[in-house]
Formats: sequence, structure tokens, C-alpha cells
Amino acid sequence: MAGKGKTTPRQRRPAQGEASSSFEYDQVQDDEHVGDVYYQNPKNRNQIEQLLETHKGSAIVVAILTALAFALRFYKINHPDQVVFDEVHFGKFASYYIMREYYFDVHPPFAKMLFGLAGWFVGFDGHFKFDNIGDSYTTNHVPYVGMRALPAILGSLTIPVVYAIMKESGYSTVIAAFSASLILFDNAHIAQSRLILLDATLIFFMSLTIYSYIRFRKLRYWEFSIEWWTWLIATGAFMACTWGSKVNGILTVVTIGIAVLVDLWEVLDVKKEGHTMDYFWRHFTARAIGFIVVPFILYLSFFYIHFAILTQSGPGDNFMSPAFQETLSGNEMLLNSRDIHYYDIVTMRHKDTKVFLHSHVERYPLTYDDGRVSSQGQQVTGYGHNDTNNNWQIIPTKSLPETGKGRVVRHDDVIQLLHVNTNTHLLTHDVASPLMPTNQEFTTWPKDDHSRHNDTLFQLVLTEGHNGQAWKSKSGHFRLIHMPTRVSMWTHSKQLPDWAFKQQEINGNKNPTEKSATWYVDDIIEEDAEFEDLEDEESKPAVKAPKKMNFFRKFGELQLLMLQHNAGLTASHPYASNPINWPFLLSGISFWTNNDDKKQIYLIGNLIGWWTCVVGLSIYIGILGADLIARRRDMDPIPDPVRNRLWNNTGFFLLVWAVHYLPFFLMNRQLFIHHYLPSHLASALIAGAVLNFVLSDTFNFPISIRGPKLTKPKPSTYSDIGIKGPVILIGSCIFLFVMFTYLAPLTYGTPGLTGEQVNSKRLLSTWTLHFAAKKTHEV
Amino acid sequence: MSGNVRARRPASPPPGVPHAAPIATQRFPHPREDHLDADARRAAASKGFAPGRTKNYPPGGLHLTSVEWKLLLVIVLVASAVRLFRLSKPNSVVFDEVHFGKFASKYIKTQYFVDVHPPLAKLLITLAAFVFGYDGQFDFKDIGKIYDHVPYVAMRMVPATLGVATVPLAYLTLRALDCRTTTALLASFLITFENGMVTQSRHILLDSPLIFFTALTVFLWSGFCNEDKHEPFTTSWWTWLTLSGLSLGAVVSCKWVGLFTIATIGVSTIMQLWNLLGDLRVPPRLFMRHFIARALCLIVVPTLFYMAMFQIHFLILENSGDGDGFMSSEFQHTLGGRGMADTYADIAIGSQVTIRHVNTQGGYLHSHPHNYPGGSKQQQVTLYPHRDQNNDFRIYNASENGMDFDYVNSPLAYVTPNMRIKLRHIATEKHVHSHDIRPPVSEVDFQNEVSAYGMPGFAGDANDDWFVEIDHGDKRDKESTKRLRTLRTTFRLRHALTGCYLFSHKVKLPDWGFEQQEVTCNKNAVKDNSLWFIETAQHPALPANAPKVNYKLPGFLGKFLELQQVMWTTNAGLTDRHTFDSRPDSWPRLRRGINFWVKDHRQIYLLGNPMIWWLSSLAVFAYFAVRVFLILRAKRGYKDFNNTKVVKYDTLCGFLFIGWGLHYSPFFIMGRQLFLHHYFPALYFAILLLCVVFDLVTSTLRPRIRLQIAAVLVIVAIWNFQHFSPLAYGSPWTKSKCESARWLKTWDFSCNDFYDNYAQYNSIAAATPTKSEAPVATTIGGEPGGRAAIVVEDNAAQPIAPVDEHSTAVAPGKAEPGRDIFAGEPVKEVKSSVPAPAPPRDPHEEKQISQVVTQATDTPANSDQSTDASSSSSDKSIESELKSVAAAPKEVAGPLREAEVEAEKVAQELYPDDA
Repeated sequence: MAGKGKTTPRQRRPAQGEASSSFEYDQVQDDEHVGDVYYQNPKNRNQIEQLLETHKGSAIVVAILTALAFALRFYKINHPDQVVFDEVHFGKFASYYIMREYYFDVHPPFAKMLFGLAGWFVGFDGHFKFDNIGDSYTTNHVPYVGMRALPAILGSLTIPVVYAIMKESGYSTVIAAFSASLILFDNAHIAQSRLILLDATLIFFMSLTIYSYIRFRKLRYWEFSIEWWTWLIATGAFMACTWGSKVNGILTVVTIGIAVLVDLWEVLDVKKEGHTMDYFWRHFTARAIGFIVVPFILYLSFFYIHFAILTQSGPGDNFMSPAFQETLSGNEMLLNSRDIHYYDIVTMRHKDTKVFLHSHVERYPLTYDDGRVSSQGQQVTGYGHNDTNNNWQIIPTKSLPETGKGRVVRHDDVIQLLHVNTNTHLLTHDVASPLMPTNQEFTTWPKDDHSRHNDTLFQLVLTEGHNGQAWKSKSGHFRLIHMPTRVSMWTHSKQLPDWAFKQQEINGNKNPTEKSATWYVDDIIEEDAEFEDLEDEESKPAVKAPKKMNFFRKFGELQLLMLQHNAGLTASHPYASNPINWPFLLSGISFWTNNDDKKQIYLIGNLIGWWTCVVGLSIYIGILGADLIARRRDMDPIPDPVRNRLWNNTGFFLLVWAVHYLPFFLMNRQLFIHHYLPSHLASALIAGAVLNFVLSDTFNFPISIRGPKLTKPKPSTYSDIGIKGPVILIGSCIFLFVMFTYLAPLTYGTPGLTGEQVNSKRLLSTWTLHFAAKKTHEV
Repeated sequence: MSGNVRARRPASPPPGVPHAAPIATQRFPHPREDHLDADARRAAASKGFAPGRTKNYPPGGLHLTSVEWKLLLVIVLVASAVRLFRLSKPNSVVFDEVHFGKFASKYIKTQYFVDVHPPLAKLLITLAAFVFGYDGQFDFKDIGKIYDHVPYVAMRMVPATLGVATVPLAYLTLRALDCRTTTALLASFLITFENGMVTQSRHILLDSPLIFFTALTVFLWSGFCNEDKHEPFTTSWWTWLTLSGLSLGAVVSCKWVGLFTIATIGVSTIMQLWNLLGDLRVPPRLFMRHFIARALCLIVVPTLFYMAMFQIHFLILENSGDGDGFMSSEFQHTLGGRGMADTYADIAIGSQVTIRHVNTQGGYLHSHPHNYPGGSKQQQVTLYPHRDQNNDFRIYNASENGMDFDYVNSPLAYVTPNMRIKLRHIATEKHVHSHDIRPPVSEVDFQNEVSAYGMPGFAGDANDDWFVEIDHGDKRDKESTKRLRTLRTTFRLRHALTGCYLFSHKVKLPDWGFEQQEVTCNKNAVKDNSLWFIETAQHPALPANAPKVNYKLPGFLGKFLELQQVMWTTNAGLTDRHTFDSRPDSWPRLRRGINFWVKDHRQIYLLGNPMIWWLSSLAVFAYFAVRVFLILRAKRGYKDFNNTKVVKYDTLCGFLFIGWGLHYSPFFIMGRQLFLHHYFPALYFAILLLCVVFDLVTSTLRPRIRLQIAAVLVIVAIWNFQHFSPLAYGSPWTKSKCESARWLKTWDFSCNDFYDNYAQYNSIAAATPTKSEAPVATTIGGEPGGRAAIVVEDNAAQPIAPVDEHSTAVAPGKAEPGRDIFAGEPVKEVKSSVPAPAPPRDPHEEKQISQVVTQATDTPANSDQSTDASSSSSDKSIESELKSVAAAPKEVAGPLREAEVEAEKVAQELYPDDA
């Protein structure tokens, strides 16, 4: 990532003979003087540095780090033997894969399929449903350790990847180990990767994406070579895996997208290398294939497998469209969907809240508590249970033929609904509903009284219906639009007061296209007598085979639903937090508690590590700002190679950090601190780079592989931090480890803590730990 | 102005060619003036601008000829004619006049209110109303309510005048930006004939002042930039800068949307400074002078102005009003009528106290003789916002024999930390009690119910006992940390047996609790929500001259900051749907307008001038596309940016484009209710941008041709304007004309409201509108009066023809004012106005509904006719509730007691056929 690709707004030759305070800077700045630089000869480096920079030294360091990572992540992985936090969801999904039952979730399926695979591999039979936090695994014979091992392995492998990223970026072994240790000893990363959660997978693939992209960039002088293509495709593939693990992975895609655009922008620059447009288009196509086509195909294939596995009807059915549901075997809709005819008596349910359209002889009270007045008409409510008061007959408003197809109710027909028990028609009018003054009241009107005929007319609008489409029970989702006022029949989960027996309010929503105003016919109670014989014959076919549906339509539908539901996750959660708190580690999440022996798992990071990252980040931004202003005033305090590395390489890390963090400020959904973990990883990289900058001006340069494009070799330097590097590394590792062990009981959930101990672990007053001792003042 | 107008000088002429007269089109930065000698030219060039610095530099670089001044006068006259035409029509309330008129009334009555908008524009409207003798008695209840003794024309004159003033400002701005006269003229006419701006400026609304001040800021800033290029730190430079700052303050004091204007100017300033920083001839000291001058005038001055507006606001609103409930108790006590007599500072066993919750505005710890319907079925304990006898509790010592303590005659026993106490509700003689039963609403494990339990003479049980834990006292009152002191000590109450804390949160009890706030005992209490303080205290043994305390009244700054916070949180909370709200992406397309007012077969519907609107959007996107293209070209080595003309127009368009973008794009990330009129400031920039594009396109044409093209454009704009003007002025129109004006399906003005021909307007003019007309006017198919019954016909060929006719269009919603979030809240006061003067003697009496008594019956029976009568708070709150009840028939506002009487009347109106 070094060398080329200046992002400087102005190109200026280094000022010659400028009175700079530091002679060292001058030396590095001037190309002619580079030969004098001490670090140019690798033999001149410090002994320790030389030792560490050898392949062997580096391998030993990374081996130690990896071994430690495995140790810390697998330590007591079998504890607790209970369902913890979101294992409720992701464990359950794994069991659905094993049972092949269709489910719906906002996250793409890749990571969850891995869990399913892990579960299948270790012999989980899928019958345990992970219903509540605290359910015991051992009594239910769930091989949970095997399932937890998967994220633990991925989480451990993240450490060498982080190390490799820094190493490939040209930093010395010490710096790379420093960045890796920030992740290695981090309580939050460890807690998150010891449990059946998606984040470990996400972070692992995200770091791999960064790594491959850096490898790819380093090959830029050797373009269109085999290696170049390999790393290009690898970046795309890992990107797809990241995205496939969790919705947040899309941010990694955005990161790479921005980086690629910047990269292409440079290729386009005629001043730099004077390439033809032809050359540009070749680059453009290559990247389009590697970063768009390949990942997309991979992403699609995840879903293809997902659909291929989940062929049985399951809890996710109801989210999907009727057409989709009919592709699942055993689906109720597939089995029970029938045409509806006029004069049939049916029950109708609201799609979202599942209440029946209900009416009873009781009337609306004359005045409501807020002083508004009702029509005193018969109540129309939503009722959760089956009851003959839910029966409605469909009355035509047009003349019907004696028999035949004309009697089928179709899309856009205008109908009346007769409440069978009270012999009244459903009606709505311009009177405010009991709970929502902006919506219309629903009531009924005697059948024989034609004075309000118009107000009893409703238009049946089938969801995605086309002209002449028949209305079917179960699968025929519809909205009921009132003819004169164009409101749609709607209900919401608010209960009416006692006078309506706490049933749900039904009212007319002014938005005729309101999505939540969707209903379906639950059952046909009684069919029109004269028509029944005919119907009987066709309604009893053999067991229906699941229908087929185009994969792309399934995919499209699921994607859309995932988007909608992701945005809809706005309910408050006691441990949801605001993004501004995250880098400072102001609050964590209580994953699990055990009252008996006062154990708890609390997701919180390593305070020292996180604050180091924040400090590193602020120093970095400060350096950039100072550099910008200084250069604006025509001063060059930082030597060019160093600046290039700062801007291009560390800048890329900053991009990763910002793209994985800042968008959360715009989101209204529930946010948790573990959403920051990818950004935290990026900030650890930045912290390493900043440490390098602070300690010395040296790094391995150039790091890009020399290829046919680069004709003139660049003067090279070698990184040398000297003795202070290892000292600082060891010192920081000790600090990190001490802090880690101090917080470890919260991370591993064992041993149990006394109230005083909990209090002492509560390093920031904003952490909400359980079992804290309260100061007591009994008299 | 991007500030980057230090343009590159044109290439010097090739040697040998005589120094030719400048080409006519090369008018940037300033016309070259060849009378300067070589030295003067060089000196000027070294400063970064072309020669042309003459001694009499006009202020702001505005080179206006005397003809232009006359032209300006004409423009103003035309604009006045267009915008003030029949300002008095309609003579009833239109759209958000409901709110802003009401606020003017409250200013005049000096009753405190809270609104999401800063006060400047409202103050201006109030000033007009006041000068013309408005007494503040009109209630602006519903859209379409006829004005009665309201100088509404004067009030409308404020936005209208400012709207007119925007027109010459547009002219001057473009002139200051170095555009041609023709261009500036075009801009002023386009602004004049913009239907949306006309509609908006003719009513008592805040957007017109906002647009005016935005335009003013842009003008002053352009002037300042010209000055800055000419010579900084002159008197006139300072003047323009300071005026810009003042104007910025005014924008943001109208509406918070003005922050976008601040952002625009801010971006421009930063770019200016950035350029200055890169100019190595500017020494750091000079740079700092530039920096400080701008910080002073563009940050400090606007802030002070903004605060001054609030100071005026507070000075006027000195009395209690319906906005009290949103403010802290300290704040409330700065309002007249809300003050509290000094109260004794010492609290001892036997003190009669009222206890307030710190963190919510729920009010006082309260109990009343009504029981919980579930749980323990014991007496309710709630928080109640008003002073009332039922808030009085007496403190008893709960330790051994404490109940027998003769507090009247014994020496004072102060309440100290960790003392075990009981709280007796004086009116019902029950103790505040808690036990292991889930509370009615927050049914979670860690919450316990709090009730009042006991009977006269009963000493109580251990579940009545609470420990006092002092959280903090007041710094100036040393005693207050050691023992309870009225108002100064904040404390918690821990239940002796279960260890939970007395707690309350913003959760309302259902109707049976009169929507008062829930009080529970919480084992995991958030600290803030479990803090209490004692507001009043008296003790029989205290001498009359014992030390007394009162609230510490907040200073201006405290009040100011508190109000800002309330406004901010409420603004973000405005997320309800409105029938006519829209999302930002639909604005540049002019997809849909807003129904302002419908009455008497006339309609006011906010809709822009489609031609101007679409052309301006087109100009914005064209500039964007061209700019992207130019950047790409530059990357490929083309030297477009060496062309002076490109640089000049790019600078101009860039500035306006940034203005447009900053006034438009932030709306995308706002979750709150948004309306078409939020686009107007951005539209102003877009129109200016359109004119600059015109200037560029016609720059090579001869002036006469240019003028002709401009004239054609203006004529088309005027034709468009008159085509839609009945919707702007609310003047008569016909159904067919209306239908033909519906260019987009999504424009949902309801044509069915208009008559078939104009003659019908004259015939109806004499008749007074019947009562039922207004509410059903917009219901489609609803011919006023009655609904014709349609008999089901077995007619297969033509099934229900009338129905099909109705179904052709989605019925438009009613004109409905934006929701005033601050209006809904006080409603609860009516229901919870529990005077309950006499404690019930018999616990079995509790079932009877004594809640709706006395106060309500004092108010006029029918608030519909009470416009001039009562202004008592209960009456008003009923009204404010009703205002949001658009769908409800409005005649239903009778007090609850009259319900039976009203019933018949209402039924008649709902079902006329039934009678």
C-alpha cells in the first residue's frame, strides 16, 4: 500500500534547502541523500530487530500469539452449559437447518449454515430449540461445545490474520504483534467468539478481506498476473463471506468499494502514468469481475443452498408471500388454500397481529374518556380466539350467475360483509375511532336498513393481485378498502378498554396502501349450500406437492423482507447503546447471569486496549490534520515515504474503521456494543501504525512486489524500532493481560463473584453489572 | 461564495499583438480597466485580483446603475401586487395558522407555551397583531374557522411583506454575484411567480420569514465576499460581515432549519480560510485576524442574537400557561401564577409534606380514594401534576412506638438519613405501602406495587416502612446533606422489607388511574427515577418565624438551555404521520402538495409553479452532471479549469449548489414528519442556480436576444402561475379547469369541491354556509347534506355504476394542520383534576366516580360557542385535544357531565337519515 498513490491535493516537489529543524528529515526527503540513510542496509539494524525480522523469528512470534489465542478462547468453553444471550436465536437457526424447517432471519445465511454444519458434524439432532436464556444444554443433550468451537476457532485465527495484515503493510514484527495483542487480549472479542454468535465469523472474514486486499494492492506493479488475479478473486470471495455472515458485512463491501474507487481514480489519472482509456477499462473490468461478479455469485449461492436445505414448512413461513409458502412442503397454505365464493361464510384474520375480525352486540360507549363521542354503533373488534362472532358472510354487490366461475370472489370486487350472528353489515364512516382520532371507526349496520348502503361497500384488493384473480383462503392476502372514504380496514396491537373486553381496536387507516392493513381468510366455515357439491369434488385432491418457484424470485423476496425487518428492529432493549459510547467502552451487555453462584457473563472490552486504540486514533487524526495544514503553508515536516504510508496504508485502516462505525449513527435500529467490534479491529491496526510512527520513521519499504510496470527501483529502507520496540510490546502485553485477567470472570462467566468483587470490577460507573453489593445503612 | 474567486488571470496576449480592448464576455472578476499604468496593474495582480480597483468601490461590489434602481422599484411593485392580492381572503383559519395564530394569542395573553420553533417569526407576527389591537381572545381552533375580531390581515402582512422583500433580494444577490441585469431580472420574476412561495407567504406561517432571512443572508454574504476580495478590514467590510452574522442569527431564530443556512455560510467561510491559508503571502498573524473576525461575526453574533430572541420570549411570556408541564419545576416557578409561597425549610417527624419526583414532570406523590382494579386492589398511589390536597402526606416515625410520638408538643425530631418512616396520606388516613405484588402496568419481576393501605386509627404494618436515603443536598445549605430539608435535599425511599426503591417513570396508568403517572417500588431502580424531593412542608410545632425556603429560580441561561433541550427532544419526536406529509425525494419532482384549506367550494393547496420548479431541479442536476464530467475530463488531462469563464460559473454554481444541497439533503436523515414547504429554502437556491445557468447559456448572445429569451421564460412562468393561481389565492374555480390542471396523478387537490361553473359562486355568495358543509366538504362523493342511498340492483351489465365512479381516484385527505406536539399533553389535566376536597368517610364508597366533578361544570357548556368566553385551562385543553381530532365531528366537545344531553344531538348529526 505504499509508495504510489498520493492523495495529496497538490503535488509539489520537496522544497529544496528549506530550513528544516531536523536534519534527519532533510535526509530522507531528498532522493539524493537517501543513500546515506542508516536503515538502508538491513545489516545495520539493531540485533533484536534483525532477529525478529527473520522468517523464523516472525513465525515464532505468530505461533505464540496464535497458541495464546486458542488458549484464551477455548478456556472453559463448556461453561456455562446454558443458553447465553443470542444463542437463543443462532442456536435455534442451526437446529432449523438440521430439521430442514424454513425460518426467517434478518441476517444472510452463511454463518448460520456454518453453525448448522458444525451442529450436524458433532451430532446435534436439532430437537432442542434454544428457547430461553439459561436453558440447560446438558440436560437436553446438546453437543454445544462443538458448536461453540466453530466461532472460537475463527476468533483465534483472526489473531494471525491481524498480525499478517500489519506485516504485509510493512511494519516490523513488534508492531504487528502489538496490534495482534490488542485483539488477542480483548475481553469483548473473546466473549463474543466463545459463544454461538455470528460476530466471530464476521470479524474473521472481514480481516481476511482486508488482508487479501492488501496483498492485491501490493501486486499493482505486476498487474494481470496469476497472483494478482488470485488475490483479487480472494478479496471478492472473502468479502462475500463477510457479507453472507451478517448484514453488517455490507459495510466491508462498502469499504472495499471505496478503496477500489480511489484506486481506479488513480489509474484514470493521466498525469500519473499517462495510461490510455483502454488500459483503464481493462482494470475496470477486472475489478468489476473480482469485486462485483464473483462476490455476488457467491452470495447468491449461499441463498441457493439455504433454500435447498430448508424445504419443510417452519416458523418462517408467515413472513413470506403465499406463493413462496406454497413451495414449502407441509405448509398450511399449500394444503388448505381454496377459492372463496359469494355467500360463503368465512373468518378473517389480520396478517400481523393474527386477530380475527370480530363483532358482538355490545355497542361503543357514547363518550370516550377524552370527551370525544362515538356513533354508539355495534362494536367491531379484533379478537384472538375462535368464536362464532368471527363469522362473516360475503355478500355480492353485483348480480351473480346461477352457477359456475362467476361466483368466485375476485380481485377488485366490491363486496359487503354480513356479520352472521347479528345480521348486520360491516360499515365504516367519518367518525373517529375509539383510540385513534385520526382513523375511522368501524361498526356494523342492520342488514335491512339501506340508508347507509354506500358505507357498507368495501373493495377487495388482493396483495399483488391482478385482474380476475380469484380470492383464496389462507393464501389470498387482501386489503379491504372502504369505497366512499378509501380507508383500509386496519388494526393495531393496542387494546380497547374494558367496555370492549380488552379486544383489539379495528379502525380505518387513511393510508390506503398501508402494508400492515393486510388480512387473510383463515377458514371457510360454511359454503354456499347450492354450490357445495361442486366444490367438494375439486377440493379434495391428493396430497399437494410443493410448488416450484424461481430461485431469483425467492431470493429477491427474501432480500426485501430482510431489509424491511432490519430497519424495523427498533424496539428498545435494556442493553442497547448509542454508538458514541462504543469506542470509550462506556457500557456492555449482560449476556447471562446465574443467581445461584453469582456468575455472570458481561460483554465488555479490555479497558486498556480500547482506550489505547482511541488514543491511537486521535493521534492519527491529529497527525493528518497537522500535516494538511503544514503542507498548506508549504512545510513538509514528514518525509514522503512516511507520509505515503500514513495516508495510504493507515488511511485505508481509517477507512475500514469509519465505514464500519459511522453508519451506525444514522441507524434507528437497536444497536449494541458488539457492532463496534469490526471497527475496533481496525482501530487496533491504526494503533499499531501510530505506535510505529511515534517510535521511529522506519518501516519496510518498498513493500510492493516489483513487477514489469515498475522499471526504476525505489530506494529501500528497513524497519528498525530498536530495543524500545520489544520493551514496549512486552510492557503493553503485560498491562493488557493483567487487565484481561482482572475482567476475565465477567468474560468467562466463572468464577462467581461476591458483591464487593463485582463492585471492584465495575471500573466505569456506567457498567451495569449484576449482583453488585449495595451499600446498606440499616439503622 | 466558495471564496475561491481568486481566478486565474487570462493568458496574456501573445507578444506582438497590441494590448487589445478586453472581450465583452470577459467580465470576471471585474472589467479590466486599461487606464491603469503597468505598476498599478502589477500591484493589483499581486493581490490576486485583476486591476479595476477604483477609488469609489461600491459597497458590496454592487455595481448598480440608476436605471436598475428604478427597475427594482417596478419589481417590488409587481411582487406586491402578486403577493398581497386579496390578502384578506379567505377570512378564516388556514392550515398552520391554527398554531401560529394561537401562539400569537398566547404571547398577547402572556401565557407560557412551548413550541418546536424559535421565537423570532412568531414575535414579528405577534407584534403586528398587537399593533393592530388584537386582544388574544380568538382560539384559532380549526381550519376554516371564521376570524372574529382578529387583525388577521395585519398578521398575514408580516410573512407577506417579507415574501415580497425576498424578490428584490434575489435580484440584488445575483447582481452581487456578478450576473447580468437580465439574469437578475429573470430571477426576481421567477421568485415572484412561484405559486408555492406565494401561497406560503400569504398566511400566518413561519416559512416566509425563514426564506426571507435565508435570502438576506445569502445576499449579505455575497456582498461580504466581494468586499473581502477588494480589501479586507475596511469599515464596510466589517459592516457586511456583521450584518451577515445578524442575519444568520435571524434565520436560525425563525426555524431551526436555519441551521442549514449557517452550515452553508460555514462551508463557504472554511473554504475562504483554506484558500487564505494556502496563500503564503498571508502571514499567520493576518490569517488569525481573518479567522477571529469571522468567528466573532459568524458565530458569536448569531448566537447572541438568537439568545436575545429567547430573552424577549421569556420576558413576554411571564405567566403560567399550557406549556408549563414541559418545563422543570424550577422553571415553572419563574412564571406568574405558578409561584409558590415560601415554605418551611425544616422537616421533622410530624411534618405535613408534599413530595415531588425529580426526574419526570409527573408531579407530586398522590393518592386518591380509588383502588387498583387488579393486584392488591388497594388504594392507588400515583404522580399527579397539580397541587391538590391529595398530595399531602404526614411523616411518622416507624421505629418502635414511633406512631405514638407526640409531634405537636415534643421538640422537633428532624428526619435524618436512614430513619425509618411511614408516610400517611392525610386525606384518606392510609399509609404508603408496598408488597410483593406486581404493579398494574409495569408487570415485571423487579417492580412491586405501591398502594395506600390502612384505615383511620390503624398504626400500619411493616410494609408501610421506608428508609430515607439522602442522595445529595444543596451546596449552599450545609444542613441539607445531614437531614431532610425542603427543596434542598434529594433523597430516595427504600422499602424496609423488600429493599426496593420508591420509583416512578413516564408510564401512564390507564383510565382507571386517570392517566396519572405510575408509581412503583423498583428493585433495580435507575437512580434518576427514584429521586424525590419535598416541595412544601409545614409542622405544627414550628414557629411562624422559622426559616423558610423557596425554589432557586433559574437565570436566563438556565431557562434558555432547558428550553432548547425540550425543543430538541420534542422536535425529534414529531414522527406521526400526517395526511399530507411527504418524503424529501419527492420534493424536487413536485410530486404532491399540501391541502391548506377547503371551504365554500374553494380550496387553497400548496403547489409550486411546475415550470419553475422542474426547471430549477433540472438546472441543479445539470450542473451536477456537468461538474462530474469536468472532473473526469480534468483527470484525463483536459485543461478546462484554466478557462476563466468555466471558473467563474463553476464558482457561482458551486456556491449555490452547496447551498441547495445543504438545505435539502439533511432532510433525508430526518425521521420526523416532513412537508413540501421544507423544500422552499433549497428551492430558492435552485432558482438562483437556474438563473446562473441561464446567464451562462446566454453569455455569448447579444443582449437583446438574451432579453427576449428571458421574456419568453417569464411569460411561460406567468402562464403557469395563473393556471394554478386559484389554488394559491383560494379563488373560484371550476371543476373542469381543475381537472385539466391536474397534470400529475399525484396532485391530490380535490376537484369535486369546485362548482361546475363560475356562476354558481355568485349565487351561493349570499347564502350563509350551512353548518354541515365544512366537515364533509372533502369527503369524496359526499354531497353536503346527505348521502343518497343506493339500492342494490341486479344489473349484471353495469354493476354499481356510482361506486365505480368513486373508485377512480383516491380521496384526498382533509386539510389538517401539522401536529403540535405540545398541545396534546395538557389534556390529562382535565381528567385528573381531582379536587376531592373531602376525604371519603367510608372505604366502600370508592367505586363511585368522583373524578369528573366541579371544575368541568364551570366551563361553558358548549365550547364551540365559547370563543370569546372562557380561557380557563381546562376548556382550552379540550380544544387542543379536539384540534387533532380531525376525523371527529367537532360538536362533541361538551364536558363529560353533559354527555347525556349531548348524546341526542350528536346522534342526530351523525345519522340524519335515522331521525
